[in-house]
Amino acid sequence: MTKFISIRNKSGSLSYRLNRKTSLTFLILFLFSILLFLVCLSVGSSFIHPFAVINHLLGNGTGEYDFVINTLRLPRVLLGFMIGAALGVSGLILQGIIRNPLASPDIIGITGGASVGAIIFIVSFMGTVSVQWLPLAALLGAGIVATFTYVMSWKDGVTPIRLVLIGIGVAAAMKALTTMMIVLSDTYSTSTAYLWLTGSLYAAKWQDVYSMLPWIILFIPLALLFSRIVNVKQLGDDVATALGVRVQLYRMILLFISVALAGSAVAYAGGIGFVGLIAPHISRMIADRSFSSLVPITSLVGGIIVVLSDLVARTAFLPLDIPAGVFTSGIGAPFFIYLLYRNRNM
Amino acid sequence: MVLNTYKQFKLFGLILIMAFVFMLAGCGNTEQEQVQDQEQEQEQTNGEENSDGAREITHAMGTTEIEGTPERIVTLYQGATDSILEFGVTPVGVVESWVQQPTYEYLGDQLEGVQIVGTETQPNLEEIAKLNPDLIIASKLRHEEIYAQLSEIAPTVSHETVFDFQGTVELMGQAMNKEDKANELLTNWEDRVADFKGKVSEKLGDEWPTNVSILNFRADHARIYFTGFAGSILAELGFTRPENQQSEEWGIQLTDKESIPEMNADVFYIFNEEDPAVQQTFEEWTNHPLWANLDAVKNDQVYMVDEVIWNMAGGIKAANLMLDDIYDRFELEK
Repeated sequence: MTKFISIRNKSGSLSYRLNRKTSLTFLILFLFSILLFLVCLSVGSSFIHPFAVINHLLGNGTGEYDFVINTLRLPRVLLGFMIGAALGVSGLILQGIIRNPLASPDIIGITGGASVGAIIFIVSFMGTVSVQWLPLAALLGAGIVATFTYVMSWKDGVTPIRLVLIGIGVAAAMKALTTMMIVLSDTYSTSTAYLWLTGSLYAAKWQDVYSMLPWIILFIPLALLFSRIVNVKQLGDDVATALGVRVQLYRMILLFISVALAGSAVAYAGGIGFVGLIAPHISRMIADRSFSSLVPITSLVGGIIVVLSDLVARTAFLPLDIPAGVFTSGIGAPFFIYLLYRNRNM
Repeated sequence: MVLNTYKQFKLFGLILIMAFVFMLAGCGNTEQEQVQDQEQEQEQTNGEENSDGAREITHAMGTTEIEGTPERIVTLYQGATDSILEFGVTPVGVVESWVQQPTYEYLGDQLEGVQIVGTETQPNLEEIAKLNPDLIIASKLRHEEIYAQLSEIAPTVSHETVFDFQGTVELMGQAMNKEDKANELLTNWEDRVADFKGKVSEKLGDEWPTNVSILNFRADHARIYFTGFAGSILAELGFTRPENQQSEEWGIQLTDKESIPEMNADVFYIFNEEDPAVQQTFEEWTNHPLWANLDAVKNDQVYMVDEVIWNMAGGIKAANLMLDDIYDRFELEK
């Protein structure tokens, strides 16, 4: 029995290496996610017995829980999970290509760009244009700012360090712009703007789930497809070039995937922070460090963090429904510190 | 290590385009579906019993059919909560107040035992559903995103904003089948406005209309409000705004004490949050030499008013209390 199982097609253009230990971790996380889903569907303003929930999901229910489960809780849990997965993988890719453990969608301005897009919409168009277009405004903001950062970092190619430095600068500028717009806006839109910036899964609808789904099922597998490249890139640009990787090209593609994932997540949930930074780190501590193992593990870890945060957010202070963004750091950070502490001698 | 780059690129391009199309479709779809939902809802009610007086109410989010006189009503913004009590109806659920949680002190114990269904910005949909209401009063400004879900719980009417107390009363009268009471409340208000205008111009003579500034101090800046709840009421009462405050914006923020002259007017109404940091800013600004040069300060026409009544409540009872306050400040008979 070897440690790895390799799956590849004949030409060798696609190949995936499965680590046995990671597969076990994946299985455990997967089962935990299912358990968490069940808990989320039963807990809320009114408690529904988990067996009743299962019955309902299997279609044997009496229709009694149609509204609470189908309309309110289910889309919210699914959306939360997808958003966590997208943010986690986005951060994982960034940390891989930038080769810096502190990289995350917040730091290089993706979240900042989305915030500016969303706040411009909230301050200037809310009321005249339907709020359904808010995600698009956020996504456009993320795309424009990421492109701007990339172009500004270009000087005979983009080096990770320049990308990070310019990204931080752009992120700071975006933050200033957001604050300025909030300050100038009237009091009635200020509270909406702050809610958006904190990040919330409130009002999650099936439409949001359906629009978010393509991003997940297209871009996360795409990230897996490029995992060999990321593994090589982590050795540094010089080694990667020597091994025949077109460094600049793949950096751009991977960055794009990362922006697409983070941008879509932020578009639907607002500025939920910290997940993109912390989910990859947690994954590295519980799984092996090859990128192909980390992508599925990080998706699950990210999803679990967001769903768990939202569970706490909507039940801890009943009847108040608190934005989940308040708790993502509250739940992620202590766990992160615990893992660091536990692994300090390793 | 050589990859089939061209194929991968084609795949990548395709995925990119598809994702964007899905996104646009997602954004667009929601609207269509909502409209469909509404239409379906209407059809259902039409089909059932339109004959015995289902009322069609047009509001900021569309048209809603309501039958009979709703009894279990949930109000989702402060102005609606204030107004429903003036109608003599106790709601089954209200949202938490901005300050003095859970409900404003000026409403007394009228809301005792009424379920709080969360905050105005994020009311808890499960709690609302649990109350099994037959009418929900919402605001498009706050609840546009959840309108479809609210409509699934109960017929929902939405006002455009949160501070237009007269519009709120009018809409609620229609929705609650109490239009007579709504007219009574509004006529009473108009009579009082007319009464005030007559008495104040009689008393002040040439000095009326008076220029007024509504000021609000925060921990790190000061604000002049032009419009909004207090601004619109003062305008209705006949107060004028200084020339530099004529804009229809909500108001302006002043971050520098050098801008103090911008505040200049004959009368100042000031509401501040009860907070040591705010109090300190207020003292700093009012101790500045420029403050002493303002007309209102020189004529001793600076009044501290209640921020709940003047700014945060937004209902017809608050409007009347605000008017009482102004009567008192001008020492007029009510």
